[in-house]
Order: sequence, then structure tokens, then C-alpha cells
Amino acid sequence: MADVAGAVGILAQIRLVAEVRWRILRNGLRRKTNRFDLLGMIVLGVFSGIFVLGLCFGFFAGAYEFLSHGRPGWIALLFWGIFVFWQLFPIFATGFGAGFEFRSMLRFPLNLTAFYIIGLAYGLADFSSLASVCWLTSMTLGAAVAKPSVLPAMLMVVGLFLLLNVTLERVIGSWLERLLSRRRTRELFVALILLSMVSLNLINPIVNRYGALLKPLALRVIPYFSWFPPSLAGRAIAGALQAHFAELVLGSAGLLFYAAVFSVFLWRRCSAQYRGEELSETAAPARVAARRVAKAEDVPDRLSALSPQVAAVVRKEFRYLMRNNFSFFTLIMPPMLVLIFSSMFTGKHPTSEHQISSEMFFPGMMAYLILILMGPAYNCFAFEGRGIQTYFMVPLRFREVFLGKNLMLLSVLAVEIGVSLVMLAWWLGLPSLPVFVATLAAMVFAVVGQLSLANWSSLTFPRKLEFGQMRGQRQSGMAVLTAFAAQIVFGGVSAVVLFSGRWTGNPWLPAEAFALLAAAAVGGYFASLDALSRMAEEKRETLIEALCR
Amino acid sequence: MTETAIRTQKLARRFGNLTAVDGIDLQVAAGQFFGFLGPNGAGKSTTIKMLTGLLAPTAGSMELLGLDFAAHPVEVKRQIGVVPEGMGLLERLTGSEYLQFVGRMYGLDRGTTQRRANELLDFMQLADRPKTLIADYSHGMQKKLALAAAVIHGPRILFLDEPFEGVDALAAGALKALLGRMTERGTTIFLTSHVLEIVERLCSHVAIIHKGRLVAQGSLEELRAGMSGEAGSKTTLEQVFLSIVGQDGTERPHLEELSWLM
Repeated sequence: MADVAGAVGILAQIRLVAEVRWRILRNGLRRKTNRFDLLGMIVLGVFSGIFVLGLCFGFFAGAYEFLSHGRPGWIALLFWGIFVFWQLFPIFATGFGAGFEFRSMLRFPLNLTAFYIIGLAYGLADFSSLASVCWLTSMTLGAAVAKPSVLPAMLMVVGLFLLLNVTLERVIGSWLERLLSRRRTRELFVALILLSMVSLNLINPIVNRYGALLKPLALRVIPYFSWFPPSLAGRAIAGALQAHFAELVLGSAGLLFYAAVFSVFLWRRCSAQYRGEELSETAAPARVAARRVAKAEDVPDRLSALSPQVAAVVRKEFRYLMRNNFSFFTLIMPPMLVLIFSSMFTGKHPTSEHQISSEMFFPGMMAYLILILMGPAYNCFAFEGRGIQTYFMVPLRFREVFLGKNLMLLSVLAVEIGVSLVMLAWWLGLPSLPVFVATLAAMVFAVVGQLSLANWSSLTFPRKLEFGQMRGQRQSGMAVLTAFAAQIVFGGVSAVVLFSGRWTGNPWLPAEAFALLAAAAVGGYFASLDALSRMAEEKRETLIEALCR
Repeated sequence: MTETAIRTQKLARRFGNLTAVDGIDLQVAAGQFFGFLGPNGAGKSTTIKMLTGLLAPTAGSMELLGLDFAAHPVEVKRQIGVVPEGMGLLERLTGSEYLQFVGRMYGLDRGTTQRRANELLDFMQLADRPKTLIADYSHGMQKKLALAAAVIHGPRILFLDEPFEGVDALAAGALKALLGRMTERGTTIFLTSHVLEIVERLCSHVAIIHKGRLVAQGSLEELRAGMSGEAGSKTTLEQVFLSIVGQDGTERPHLEELSWLM
């Protein structure tokens, strides 16, 4: 008779899961490419640390200031800041959870309570949660230093606030996870988020133009916010400080109520998952009658000037782009931002009455476009997945793959630049002919020059990205650093050359210099293709291993 | 004299300290339906990856259709087709788009590619979902599509890594018939499978790899005769396989060690 394993405590299970995650991270570092990635992560970690620490001082100072200067109600603003960040940051930036397939825990003998608590504990492992906990702690310290008597109330309110936030984040996360289990919904959601991110840039122009009209409306709406958790938290703290016991009880009870409601919702979601809800269950697509693909003779081949292999790669890249809503909408953003910037700065500088010159604004906007659009080229195999093997199975040299991919990128850039150019010409007018020509030549130099580097980076630091997903996506750290360094070098060289016209008093000098640089970049690009082909053969195992995971 | 389709000499592949393939000498004649067998981790997929250019050997040489792979990789790839482990599909294309992509990558003209893609989709019973992305195909459908992509250019050697895994019996029957016809017309098929009955039914010749070394190679009759000592033996391939792979006694599980389970 087989033995049966004994029960494992919840804490032991949390520890086991933490250990597994640590091992996954540590084992990942055995690979050379992942070690390079660690460097990128450390750089990112330093910046994140500075961000969190800087705001810790801010929250400490804010709480101290409000409480020591008799404005305790204003502490609600600090709670609002943390609340918004905690709930929105996972949606906009990192995705929910910590990239760990939490449902896989169901294979193990966990009871529902343990499953719920482990889920809640892992909600605290997100960046947004950790950062928010740091800020809440800073606030508590700031409040305690200002008014020591408020510490017990502060601890209770912060504790409730923390509980309701972590629960709410998990609820939203699990609801969205369910909603996003369908690919189409997921891609639509990503598109909506991207568009809303773009829309955030419109807030400033709208407030500038319609601020006076919106003020009465805002004043009417603000009282309704007093029943939201951050306002309740602020109310409770103010009540504790001013000895309004009823306010303290009301605020705390409100927070407790919210925490209880969110807990019920989360419990229901966890129960459904615990019972084995399959998120990917969707209605089977209806079968359609067999339909033949159009005969080749019916359709003229628009890419007949290219070799069949290069044309095939261009077509495939185009289809992937059109189907990957995430990538597709990132293409819409740059011209939209050019439109926003140009509409904001039309006629005058935002901080002075001096007119903005298209002589500088035009090259600046073009440089911005290149900065944004060249990024994905540094990891151009990201969406191939297992399909990367096809390139190594078919009889071609890798230069044809690069040519196809780069050609598609150049086409996208051409369209984006064309659209942006029309918008800039409409809002600001075009710059003088020497600057216009110099900018175009500079773009050829910067784009083609970067392509060779980007191709090298794609082979050296490949990282698989999930198609049409924003959640849990992480670029290769080294590819990002390479792109960053390359952009600085190309941007720096371009700026120096562009200014040389002013310094020397020869307006055509930058155009001539950029023409030479562009010719050199194009020559260098074609010369690099063979070397990159050889490199691709040498790196095929790294590529296949990284992308077939 | 029979043309040799595949010949390897001292072919080896090491991953750090691990030797996955240890100097194997393979010889496969043109037109053979060749089964390549071995237990898990024996080196089958590594060998196939090397023979198809997905993995570089650490040592040794490979000749396919008389061409040195290292010297003429593109010429060799033009004449071979592969269903690799994991299938290597571009999952965000439809089946038709993928076949057209692969056909064009092999240098077929557009008309031929489309005609063959349509015929293959019909044959594989994949034509009724023209707008379905490969990502939404079932495992069996993906397998059939990978096979269609491997044969679209009419290869002279076809490498199949577990081609029938996940394919329903109906489709498997049609595929076997197709593969049989291809060998009749001179195509060499190099197949790995864990299902020994399939190998026994389809293959005329077999090689067995164990711990990276080639431990047996020959026709099925030769291997059977080698075990029983007489020609025309009724020994099954499974018995041959087990006797060769498990002959040192280390492979046989010691059930007494699992007494707590029984």
C-alpha cells in the first residue's frame, strides 16, 4: 500500500513556492544571455530603487507636514497617490502577479484557504505592492514623528488600507485574467490601454484650454470621492488627531467594509479557480466551408522586384505586424505624440513667449520618431517563437531574413515619418531647405547605421516575447542597453553635425556631412550582412534555445 | 550500386561535459524508410538537429546526397524537408499563409506554391479553416501542417521527429500511405518514434542509439536474425530494442526499490 503524504502548513507552502521562484531565477542565470540580462535588471533595479526611495522621503515629509501644521485631512491626498499607483501601475506596466503561473499550484494538495492566502501573499510580491508598502511605512513614520499620539490609529488605518489594496489588486487581476483569456479581448484591452496612455498626454492641453469651464464640474464631483478608500483613510486619521472619535470609527469601518467586500469577491474568484475553472475555455469557432485560396495568377505580385525569400519574409512580417495589436498600436503612438507636441508648442514655447522654430523642432521630432521606432529592431526575432527554426531549415542565407525584416521596418518608418512630416508641416511649417535635406540624410544615417547594430543585438541577445501580450513581457536587458547606447552615439553625432552648420555659417555643411555619413552607413550595412549571416549560423543554438522556450 | 542519402562519420555533439552524441557512423541508402530509435535522452533529436542544420556538430562530418553539409549547407537544405521537435511553426500565420511562406523560402514560384499549398491543405484535411491561426490549431493539426510544410518543395530526404504523435488514427493512416508512396518514388525518410510498432510497420532499416552511441544498424531482418541467430525470426522490434538497450541490466527498473508504492 502506498503511503500518503502528511499535510503541509500554509507558511511552509508559501516558503516552498518562494524557494521555487528563487531557484528559477538562479538557474536562469546559468545561461550566458541571462547573465547579461541580469546587468540590465540591476540597472533597472537601481533606477526603481531611487524612484521608491525618493518618494519615501516625499511621503514622510508630506505626512509630517500635514499633521504638524494642522492640516490632517490633507493626508488623504497621500493615500490617494498610493491607491492610484497600486491599482493602476500593474495594469499599465508590469501585469498582474509576478509572472508566476499561480494556477499551477492547484496540482498540489492545497485547501481553498491555503490557495487564497498564498494568492494574497503573492499579491504583495509585486513591484507596485512593495513600493506602496514602503511609502505607507514612510507615511506612518512621518505621522508618528509629527504627532506620536496618532501612531496607533495610523497603524490600524494603514493596515486596513494595505489589506484592501492588496485584495483589490488581486480581484482586478483575476477578473482581468479571466477576461483576457481570449486572445482577441486581450489584444483589444492592450490597444485600449495604449490609447489611454496616449490620451493622458492630452490632459495638459485640455486643462489649459478648458480649465476654467471644467472647474465647477470638478468641484461638484469631488465630494463623491470622500466615500472612496483613500478619502476614508484620510478621514480616519484626521478624526484620530482631532479627537473626533466618530470620524475615526466611520473611516476605519468604511475601510473594513471595503476590505470585506473585496475579500468576498476575491474568495469567489479563487473558489472558481480552485474548482478547476479553465480560463481558456471559449466557444469553439464555427467551421466554415472549405474555401480555396485565390489562384496565384489572379493576384499581381507586388513584391516581384525582391527575391522570393526576401518577399516571403516581408509578407510574413507584415502579417505579424497587422495581427499583433500591441505592436500595431505602438506604431500609432509616435505620430500621435508628434501631433500632440506640435499642437502644444505651436506658435510659442510653453515656458516663454519666444516662437518655437521649426529649424530645431523638425529635426528634434524626427529624432524622437527614430528613438521610439528603432527599439523593437534590437530584438527583431522576439515574436518568432518556435518558428525561428524555419529560417534554419530552409535553403537561404540569413542575410535574406535580415533584408526582409529590415525592409519591413524601413517601410513602417517611411510611413510614420511621412505622416509625421505632413502633420509638422501643417502645424509648424517645414524648416529651411538645408535643414530639411540635412534631417532626411541624418535619418538615413541614423536608421541604416543602427540596423547593423540592431541585427547584431537581435542575434546576440534574443528574448522571446509573447505575441499580442503586454502582461509579463520583459525585453532583453542587454538589447535595451545596446539600443540605448547606440541611440546616444547616433543622436550625439547627428546633433554635433547639425550644429556645425550654425558654427561655421555654412547652412549646407550638415547636409553634405550627413550625405557622406549616410552613404557610409548604407555601405557598412550591406558589408555587415554576410558577417551577420555567418554569425547567425554560429548563434543558431542560442537563438533557437531562447525563442523556443 | 545504391546511392547513399545520409552518411555520417564520427559525428559527435557535446554540451559542456555531457556527450549527447558520441561519434556515430550512420549510413542510409537513398529510398530507404529508415527508423532511428533510442530511449529518452539517447541522442535521437540531437542527431536529427545536426543532420538538418539546426545544431552544429562538435566533431565529425555529415554527407547528405553526396554533399558535405558543412561546405554546402544551402544546397543540402534545398533537398531536405524537416518536421523538427516542437514543429517550428510560425503560429501567427494561418495554415495556408505558412505553407506559402515556406514554399517561397524554398524558392518555389508563387503559382506552384499556392497550388501545392492548396493540395496539401486538402490532403491534410486542414482546408476547412482558412482563417484559423496556427496558434489555434490542435496539436494534431499542427503536426499535419508541419508535415505539409516539410514536403511542399518535394524533398529527396525527409526528416521526421515523432511525426505521428498526437495525430488521429484516420490522418495517421493517410500520412503513412503518403510516406510509403514517397519512398517508392525514391525519397529517403529518416524517422524517429517511440512507438516501435509504427517503426516496425513502416521502416525497412533501423538504427538504435543508446547513450549517444550507435549500438545497432541494419535492416529489420538483420537485427532480428542478430538476436535470434536465425533468418526469418518472429522476434518483434520491441524485443530487439529491449535486448539491445537493456542488455547491460542498468536500464531495467528495480521494482523492489519501490516497495512503498505497492
